[in-house]
Amino acid sequence: MTATVGRETRRWIGESVRRREDLPLVQGKGRYAADLEVPGMVHMAVLRSPHGHARIRGIDASRARALPGVFDVISAADLAGIGEFPVLWRLPGLKPSGIPVLARDKVRYVGEPVAAVVAESRYVAEDALDLIEVDYEPLPAVADVEAAIAPGAPVINDAWGDNIAIKHVVSGVNAKGEAGDVEGAFAAAHTVVTGRFKINRFSGVPLETRGLLAIHDPLSGDLTLWSSSQVAHKLRTQLSEVLNFPEASIRIRTPNLGGGFGVKWDAYPEDALVCILAQRLGRPVKYIEDRREHLQATVHAREQLHELEMAVAEDGTVLGIRGRIYCDLGAHPHSVGIGPAWVTGVSLTGQYAIKNLSCDVYAIATNKVPSSTFRGFGGPEATFAIERLMDKAALALAMDPAEIRRRNYIQPDEFPWFSAGGGVFDSGNYPGLLEKALAAVGYDALRDEQARLREQGVHRGIGIGAYIHTAGFGPSMVLGLLSYYTSGYEGSTIKVDPGGNVTIYTGMIPMGQGTETTLAQVAADQFGVDIDKVKVVWGDTSQTPYTGFGSAGSRSNVAAAAIIKAGEVVKAKAERIAANLLEASPDDVVYADGAVTVKGSPDKRVELREIAEQAYLAHRLPEGDQPTLEGTYVYDPALFTIASGCHIAVVDVDVETGELKIVKYVVVDDAGTIINPLLVEGQIQGGLAQGFGGAQLEEFVYDEDGQLLTQSFMDYLLPSIHEMPDVEIHHQVTPSPHTPGGFKGMGEAGTFPPGPALANAVSDALRPLGVEVDAMPITSNAVWALLQR
Amino acid sequence: MTRQSVQLTVNGATRTVEVEPRKTLADAIREDVGLTGTHLGCEQGVCGACTVLLDDEPVRSCLMFAVQAEGHQIRTIEGVAQDGQLHPIQEAFSEYHGLQCGFCTPGMILASLHLLETNPAPTVDEIKEELGGNLCRCTGYIKIVEAVQAAALTMTSEAGR
Repeated sequence: MTATVGRETRRWIGESVRRREDLPLVQGKGRYAADLEVPGMVHMAVLRSPHGHARIRGIDASRARALPGVFDVISAADLAGIGEFPVLWRLPGLKPSGIPVLARDKVRYVGEPVAAVVAESRYVAEDALDLIEVDYEPLPAVADVEAAIAPGAPVINDAWGDNIAIKHVVSGVNAKGEAGDVEGAFAAAHTVVTGRFKINRFSGVPLETRGLLAIHDPLSGDLTLWSSSQVAHKLRTQLSEVLNFPEASIRIRTPNLGGGFGVKWDAYPEDALVCILAQRLGRPVKYIEDRREHLQATVHAREQLHELEMAVAEDGTVLGIRGRIYCDLGAHPHSVGIGPAWVTGVSLTGQYAIKNLSCDVYAIATNKVPSSTFRGFGGPEATFAIERLMDKAALALAMDPAEIRRRNYIQPDEFPWFSAGGGVFDSGNYPGLLEKALAAVGYDALRDEQARLREQGVHRGIGIGAYIHTAGFGPSMVLGLLSYYTSGYEGSTIKVDPGGNVTIYTGMIPMGQGTETTLAQVAADQFGVDIDKVKVVWGDTSQTPYTGFGSAGSRSNVAAAAIIKAGEVVKAKAERIAANLLEASPDDVVYADGAVTVKGSPDKRVELREIAEQAYLAHRLPEGDQPTLEGTYVYDPALFTIASGCHIAVVDVDVETGELKIVKYVVVDDAGTIINPLLVEGQIQGGLAQGFGGAQLEEFVYDEDGQLLTQSFMDYLLPSIHEMPDVEIHHQVTPSPHTPGGFKGMGEAGTFPPGPALANAVSDALRPLGVEVDAMPITSNAVWALLQR
Repeated sequence: MTRQSVQLTVNGATRTVEVEPRKTLADAIREDVGLTGTHLGCEQGVCGACTVLLDDEPVRSCLMFAVQAEGHQIRTIEGVAQDGQLHPIQEAFSEYHGLQCGFCTPGMILASLHLLETNPAPTVDEIKEELGGNLCRCTGYIKIVEAVQAAALTMTSEAGR
């Protein structure tokens, strides 16, 4: 590969560049949290509640402490001066709570941390857990939202008085302050369709569990935490508060992450526990969550119950949506509060020009692990609701499901669109997505074939799932208006060394998406240099710029924009230095293709390497410029970016067994400008696998006492290679008009439509039998049960 | 707990480790032999991340005790590249983007190695059958299948030379 052809510099954005991350990883030389080892290191294990709801009457750890090889045992009584992790998203009206480091008087879910042991090995630490005696008084538990709001239900958070964490009203006022008229919409409706939708409890479940190693240096007083967190800077700030420890003395380092998918965004009790124990013992303390703990105690997501209705005119125009969403919050709000359910409520209008919306979002406490962040963040739940409602409306009006969507899309010339949920949609071409997907799947021929097959007793169905995804989350000011105590900016520092090599410092934490490679592609283009001249530094809060939000699957657009803006700062300085060297006016020179030239005289040229050398020598710098060649830019997005897509599923359903087979699956996505097509495909396919998993297999199941029944991979089923169908992927590119580079962010989008696309397809297949699929997961059992009604 | 002396032969090199009888082979490989490329995703025998080859057969090293491995030839991910040269399967996983976070990758590559050593030209169904016990949470598997197909072609053409 040569970097330049004549003076035409190679462009890296848009190329399927092979990942720089791979070389160590394919050789088993990655370094994940579990692989870290330092002298004197000891191991923590956590005693967790076996009850869904119980009072703690006493804890006796004397036998555990006496076990040879045990260094320390702590419970809540030992945590004087230690606070609780805060709920960061504090919508007005949300009842107060925090995330305790260890349960004090009461446990509220199976898996809640009660005590921690440190021992010479994990084996001995787990032996010691068995010797801790906790006197529990079991309390009645509630394990679903309907039980939790029933009169006389046991109250989980005593100070609340009931189990309703919040009733938040989505009032349907758009960002211009225009209120809809929902009552009028329903009064004018030709048809009203209703949906009672159940979204299952599932989650990111990365193959690597959470991992930590805390090192406290008694001489300097500094605390170093190696953590598999996706959001090191924000975790540092939270830890400082919880531990009452100076933030400047906390350094968080990040090893390779074995996946994150959102669940590693939240802060957890163990993050504080290892730090506390490392200080108490003066020894490094390591903790690696095991799989059972992960399934019990790392946040779950998604579980919601919807009671919605949609008003439709005779011609298929959707006039309005109203109803209620019940979010099963688990025992208490976690880091993002009820954020995902809020996103669901405001996103219910999907890709459609629906101006009237009202929705009451209830977040209900239950005796389950808290529900929080997971790839998609409330969007897939909204997608399920609106896409099912569209199909129900089509059915009621005897209209084709594609046609009713055509009649309701926000049109490409209507952007920016001010949605009834308060969003500002930057750009998109939703009808374009649908038509491309219909053509790819061969829709008209499929409908003919479906009719023929039906006569032969084959139940084939076609289901559309179209989505919008609010990516690039988000402008800090807007997050402030939402009472979300995070910020949306991403900083980038760029240093060009004396040899002309470019180093990018980013607060982003790569979780496996290829962030290092894609950011290097952006920087290589920005400077017109070969990608091998670009180094990306991440994973150390002492080196990288503070990031307000941290990594999410759709944040690389914000990080890329920061690199572009920081690059502009550095290139402007390079132009001034070069102009001085060329004895030209700074206004007469331009940086392009790795060098500064005098406009109109391309032979008058200074290469970046030479400019960098001069910047460091500082012998001939322009007046007012400081030595060295570096710059920082903190990019705060001006608006959200709205990615979109349309999926079509074709399934065959066996009416004897309820089994569904995906015959064909077509994806058309639009994430704006694409940096690396190969990696984008990988993100879509991986997101789809998680979408199919949640739609067909995955579910955290609790019994009515709050006992978790799915505590292993034999019960919580991740999709295997056998469950992944063939997938056909097409792209449409509608760049964001306001993001430098036009990127929108696409890492989460694949998770959105599989649920509704499959539910629509199965309902379509079983239409002659009157079956409507309104709940996930769509297992064979579930379909079979619907067929027996 | 008493420790026991065990001779482990990993990637052709034999060494003696002192382990408790209850120590899993995976933990012994990682902690006592010091090869951390063998990953633990579930310790429940389901995910396949800890797959190693024992006498050329794939096993889950989280479900075996270290003491059971004495006298057997163990191959881990660290022994797949030879003389600093990536194995064609490793090359193909990178080229076809058959990995993202890399956590399942060592197990995937060892299972693929077993497949291609015993079946040089597998069908897609045979690839899926072999890798059916290895979970990946990132890729959606499509590119893993493509990588194994590509590696099979490379290995066949290299063998024909």
